[in-house]
Amino acid sequence: MNQKNNLIVGIIIALVVVASYNVDANPLDFVEGLPNLAIVAEEMTQVDAELFGTAFWSMLETIQMAFIGTMVGVVISLPLSMIAARNLNSKFVYGPVRAILAAIRTFPSILWAILFVIMVGLGPFAGVLAIIMYTVGFVTKLQYESIETIDSDPMDAVSSIGVSKWQMIRYVVLPESAPHLLSQMLYMFDYNIRQTSILGLVGAGGIGFYIINYIKFFEYGKAAVFMIVVLITVLIFDWASVKIRDKYIIKSQHGMEVNAN
Amino acid sequence: MNDPSTLSVISTKKIIQMNNVWTSYDSKSYALEGINLSIDKGTNYAIVGKSGSGKSTLLKLMNGMMTPSKGTIKIDYQTPNMNDKKFKLLMHKIGYIPQSLGLIKNITVLENILIGALPRLGKIQSMFKIFPEEEIQEAKNILKLVGLSGKEERKAYMLSGGEKRRVAIARALMQKPTILLADEIVSELDHVTARDIMNLILDAQKRMNLTAIMVHHDMQLALEYANRVAVIKEGKKILEIGVEGEKIIDFQTGDLTSQEILEMYSDESKK
Repeated sequence: MNQKNNLIVGIIIALVVVASYNVDANPLDFVEGLPNLAIVAEEMTQVDAELFGTAFWSMLETIQMAFIGTMVGVVISLPLSMIAARNLNSKFVYGPVRAILAAIRTFPSILWAILFVIMVGLGPFAGVLAIIMYTVGFVTKLQYESIETIDSDPMDAVSSIGVSKWQMIRYVVLPESAPHLLSQMLYMFDYNIRQTSILGLVGAGGIGFYIINYIKFFEYGKAAVFMIVVLITVLIFDWASVKIRDKYIIKSQHGMEVNAN
Repeated sequence: MNDPSTLSVISTKKIIQMNNVWTSYDSKSYALEGINLSIDKGTNYAIVGKSGSGKSTLLKLMNGMMTPSKGTIKIDYQTPNMNDKKFKLLMHKIGYIPQSLGLIKNITVLENILIGALPRLGKIQSMFKIFPEEEIQEAKNILKLVGLSGKEERKAYMLSGGEKRRVAIARALMQKPTILLADEIVSELDHVTARDIMNLILDAQKRMNLTAIMVHHDMQLALEYANRVAVIKEGKKILEIGVEGEKIIDFQTGDLTSQEILEMYSDESKK
């Protein structure tokens, strides 16, 4: 058993070495490059404080984009997840929907952004559309998975009353999966703020537009202003979502445990 | 009314009939093996057996959640089938309380009970949770009946074990049922609470003229509350007795007293 483990570890190490050779990943280059980082870091300390106003407004735009994207995405995901849940539909219904969702998820949001820039032109709207697509792909998956983990006992009990499928969804599935949905919305909003911050790289609006342009012109000090604003914003939202989760979601999940006996 | 067969049906209405019923969860073994049952309307029927004997399966057959692999079942002269619209109407008249109770944890007691009224509601009404005033009043009356007045707005997960059972009973009664099925509803409760719950069901059964079919672990409890008891062992019905005061009529082995029955089968149910 032990020898087998050693063999597996050996194979993994060998694969890492071979792959590094193939992609030309040399640790020495990293060490040699460190002084360059120092130059950038030094320039970044020369923060251009005048730009904080611009940074603030562009961050606000980013947050708004992420907010629209998350909310619209979640609204679209909700009915989709009901269709894609295995315990609610036959495989002829959930199968195709899941395949489409899997296809949507294969693209990262930045690729969707490029696609939508081509479609609707440069600007935040393309970014919003990209975030919607990404959110639909992921929240639907998270949501149908949480629908599938709903305790089958209440569903059986209620279906034996002779209720319709819609009543089942409205009175059992939605209330039982609601705490998960809230937590997924928070998670997604949090994640989408980070994502939207880089969509500007392809011209789809948001604060990323400034970051990429100042970096292109080697104005690291100016880029740093925007990066600091992103950092602070993400930290604030991280902290806030933990607070909200503790207050509203942990409580109802605790309730589930109480009921489990 | 002139038809003589209709008259005989009314006098001894067989609300549940099972004829040589076999069921299996997998292809290897049978959960029930050739069960014959015939239950008169208004009976307080108990099914006793230890866990794994197939007694819960019997209840699932009676509300159409399961179908037999062999044999026939008639509930109110209809064959149970969940996909049949006509049987769905009958399902609403069968109040089923599973052992797990099946309450919805994150909604209130009142909402849980109103779920029993859902098949009576229109599409739009049920989508927007608009319950007619008389249904809400009915739910409140039932809440009072089961002794939960004042706890309407409590979330289901906050209730005690006994209270949860009362809510499950209330939901079943909200269906305005003619048949009440309950699977080991008092097994996990202490002696006093168990008797409270049983008295509550007995009271509702008499008041609403229900046919109650209750699965029990405990022979003593069955003899105390039912007027007919079937004992199930390893998927077969091994005994059916009528309980009239102290006298127990065994259809297979002659007359016995309840004490003798208890002695014979108490070890059966306690194992």
